[in-house]
Amino acid sequence: MASSTRFVSRIAGQTARFPPLAVPRCAVSRPLSVRPRSVVSSSQSNLRCRPSNAPPFSSPRCFSTTGSLSRSKTMGQLRARHSNGPFSWKAALLFVLTGAGMIVYFRFEKARLERKRIAEMSKGVGRPKVGGPFVLKDLDGKEFTAEDLKGKYSFVYFGFTHCPDICPDELDKMAAIIDKVKEETKDENIFLPVFITCDPVRDTPEVLREYLREFHPGIIGLTGTYEQVKHVCKMYRVYFSTPQNVKPDEDYLVDHSIYFYLMDPEGDFVECIGRQDTPESATKVIMEHINDWKRDGKPLDTK
Amino acid sequence: MSWLPWSSSTEKSSKATDGGRIAPDRSSRQRCWEGRDAFFGCLDKHSIIDSIKEDKEARRQCGQEIAEFESSCARAWVKYFKEKRVMEYNRDKTIERIKKEDSEKVAELKAQGWTPK
Repeated sequence: MASSTRFVSRIAGQTARFPPLAVPRCAVSRPLSVRPRSVVSSSQSNLRCRPSNAPPFSSPRCFSTTGSLSRSKTMGQLRARHSNGPFSWKAALLFVLTGAGMIVYFRFEKARLERKRIAEMSKGVGRPKVGGPFVLKDLDGKEFTAEDLKGKYSFVYFGFTHCPDICPDELDKMAAIIDKVKEETKDENIFLPVFITCDPVRDTPEVLREYLREFHPGIIGLTGTYEQVKHVCKMYRVYFSTPQNVKPDEDYLVDHSIYFYLMDPEGDFVECIGRQDTPESATKVIMEHINDWKRDGKPLDTK
Repeated sequence: MSWLPWSSSTEKSSKATDGGRIAPDRSSRQRCWEGRDAFFGCLDKHSIIDSIKEDKEARRQCGQEIAEFESSCARAWVKYFKEKRVMEYNRDKTIERIKKEDSEKVAELKAQGWTPK
């Protein structure tokens, strides 16, 4: 907003510079109206006769059809007009407000179209596709597929429970985002946070449940076989380095991408939220997309 | 420290009933990070960056801290944090060097009459 106020003050600066330029143009464009003509006569009489100070009989050659009262009124208006130009403060205010309104509107529209472009980037043909069909299982052992993500905005994160420092930080952030989005959508239940493990050998449903419970009860934990997890990582372009033939009691780390993926209700990728985002900035991005979706009147599953 | 889920003496209890491996919880993570910070603080004092290459020196100077650190974190984590310390040190060095070179270049160009936009 700081930049738009700067804009407004720049326009205000321009209006202040307008009057001296606009005066002659206005006088020329209105030669037939009454006031400019009386302007000419009164200014001439003013120069030659000084009628207000001199007694009436001492200036017989001075002839004017306008009375001194109405003339002085015109003079007052003329002076005001001359010093301010054709723009009264009301006109200036209107001009500034209209300008500011247009700027705000154009900026808003530009930002909206930019988001729309980002959101639709993954919808066209030949675009890099993030996401897609997968089969995993949830913490109750039930099958969970990409279809189950549809209808709501989903927020997908890949990680593993034995992650030393980055994932716990990111999951705390995820918890904060969930609460913020929930607050802003007024409990509409249109936001689905999902955690997919990259380390299915160690991260069984029981382990995941215990782990995620500490961050946020609303996070849906997903796991699967090694092949299933490898496949979903590939679909989401997540770097996958989990060793295959390890035993659960072996001690190892898994390298993986550390992005959150925002997916729209049709299951298409919208945007990444990364390490640099705060819960506030992430929530802002998410809410902008949700509100755009609503404004377009597209369906959302609130169940 | 045998009650920690990943220490070898309690290997069985770290197993989840469905075959998974129970991960460190929030408080164990916190303990591990505190052990790490204490150990790295000691390394800073003795100007040791790479505690893997300079393992002997690190153990001699910070014996108590490294024992505490290694007992409160999983082995993979200990290795990860030690490597990360070196990586971050090199990264910061590089950033510093680039910044320095950058400002030198700007000073040089300014001396030739160039003004930044």
